Amino acid sequence: MPWRLLLRNVIGHPLRSSLTVGAVTVAVFLICILQAVTSGLSRSLDATAANRLLVQSAVSLFVNLPLGYQQKLSAVEGVDEICKWQWFGGRYEQDKGGFFAQFAIDPEPFLPSYPEMHVVEGSYDEFIRTRTGCVIGRQLADKYDWKVGDRIPILGTIFTRTDGAPWEFIVNAIYESSSPAFEELQMFFHFAYIDESLEQRGATGPRGSGIFMLKIAEGVDPVSVQSTVDELFENGPQRVQTTTEAEFNRQFISMLGDVPQLLRLIGGAVLFAIFFAVLNTMMLTGRERTRDLGVMKAMGFGDGVTAWLLIGESLLLCTLGAGLAVLLAVLLEEPLADGTAAFIPGFAIDRQTLSLGVGIALFVGVVSGILPGVRAARMTTTRALQEVV
Amino acid sequence: MPAAIRLRSVTKSYSKGGQTLRVLDELDLDMDAATFYALMGPSGSGKTTLLNLVGGLDQADEGVVQVGDEDLAAMQSSELAEWRSEHVGFVFQGFNLLPVLSARENVELPLLLAPLSRRQRRQQAERALELVGLADRMNHKPRELSGGQEQRVAIARAIATDPQVILADEPTGDLDRDTADAVLEMLRRLNRELHKTILMVTHDPQAATYADKTIHLDKGKLGRIEENATPTGGS
Repeated sequence: MPWRLLLRNVIGHPLRSSLTVGAVTVAVFLICILQAVTSGLSRSLDATAANRLLVQSAVSLFVNLPLGYQQKLSAVEGVDEICKWQWFGGRYEQDKGGFFAQFAIDPEPFLPSYPEMHVVEGSYDEFIRTRTGCVIGRQLADKYDWKVGDRIPILGTIFTRTDGAPWEFIVNAIYESSSPAFEELQMFFHFAYIDESLEQRGATGPRGSGIFMLKIAEGVDPVSVQSTVDELFENGPQRVQTTTEAEFNRQFISMLGDVPQLLRLIGGAVLFAIFFAVLNTMMLTGRERTRDLGVMKAMGFGDGVTAWLLIGESLLLCTLGAGLAVLLAVLLEEPLADGTAAFIPGFAIDRQTLSLGVGIALFVGVVSGILPGVRAARMTTTRALQEVV
Repeated sequence: MPAAIRLRSVTKSYSKGGQTLRVLDELDLDMDAATFYALMGPSGSGKTTLLNLVGGLDQADEGVVQVGDEDLAAMQSSELAEWRSEHVGFVFQGFNLLPVLSARENVELPLLLAPLSRRQRRQQAERALELVGLADRMNHKPRELSGGQEQRVAIARAIATDPQVILADEPTGDLDRDTADAVLEMLRRLNRELHKTILMVTHDPQAATYADKTIHLDKGKLGRIEENATPTGGS
């Protein structure tokens, strides 16, 4: 096998080779990212707790449930803890474009319900005692350089203060998470803080709670609790829908459509695009090299060698592209994970994802080389020598 | 050992546009070993087809094509490829050097098929280039060489494996007169000094004078064989 010739054929056409390698790099990188997003979503779904149920309005997630439901729900057999979750949807005053999730919760049952949440700085007890206190995730604290004791002004968009001023929260504790399903770019504060403001007409916004989280006692079947809760409110005043945490997250993601399927379709389209791009390059290359390959056949090189020269060239271009894509993915993993943490907490470009990208590139390389390779192998020497390119 | 070439009742036809064209028609021809032959004839007389058959690039429909002791008609395509790598060197009108390789690498290419070490291949290629007077152009790419130099590299490539037979298809067709004479002189030197059997297709009567004998083909049949009494070329 004339390896040097193979290498020179690639180096000898720098523009064509670098464009093909560049196209493969972009495509494989994109496929890796799409795969990382898909597996990140499923990883965060897999990491959800089986012993937590979420109760929401059967009408929509955007319709709040009456606060009076809390007492009825806590009376359901098998419910260990109950905690309100209310989406706040505020905006950090200093950060015009930034976004992070804020939730109003009940501090006492919250921490025991989420064992994956570990307070690493400050005091959770202090948070319980402070009505305007909040707990923030490590990534959020790092992002804005917030420390325990800092005061954070948040402008309400759903809940607005009647004096037009921002809401102010004191950082009492910082947590880290041991689960990809519980991200560190969140802020939690007292539900009572906004509820009292609404009651005293110091703020406007919807009453009630968006979600009630139920922590199921050990040994109790969540499915039985689920059906009991749904039956409890079957006749109103507002019907509810009870789901497991995983199902809730799945539904939340599917509000945008079938995201994993969409990503797979995009990945498939990218794969086809790159396949045709490399195939086109190799067909042109094969045609351009016809006479060279004819000369080699005349010298005594076999049909297989001429075919492998083209397959090898295609494989080499795709391998180079895949290598660069892997390098790019490894270098950009951290900033991408930080950037997507709010939406895809499980985002990670793992070895399996990189192997998939490289595997696809090698597959495209071999398949794209086969067609011109077979053509070159089948062409007779005399015909190849007559070819005018 | 120089090889003699023997053709008996060789017939070769091609199909074109639904019609069968008989290019060689029961051709009988004997060529002596270590002799320089020019092959002439009008277009379509079967010169290149004959060259392809003798070089094992194509196979006759009927008849015997014997080069040395080998009957090429009885060989499979893979056997022919192996045979070509050891016994024949080709020189083409358009030089057909591989543009991405240097002069030395081009000459080294056929040696990849020989059981030689990298060092031996390199030495043999350099010797061939020295023989054609291009020792100082070894690392130049074909685009950096003149037409005459390119053809000399092609000749070096043809003789690198030390074949018994050199087949040249219009080797001076793309060259000016002076350069053509230099190339023809080189071919004649290979015949005289290295005892190569050379068969050269040409349309140029002056080029034919460098050969020992000129074979004339006409409509796929042997016309006549002329002996050049003093094959001194144009000089």
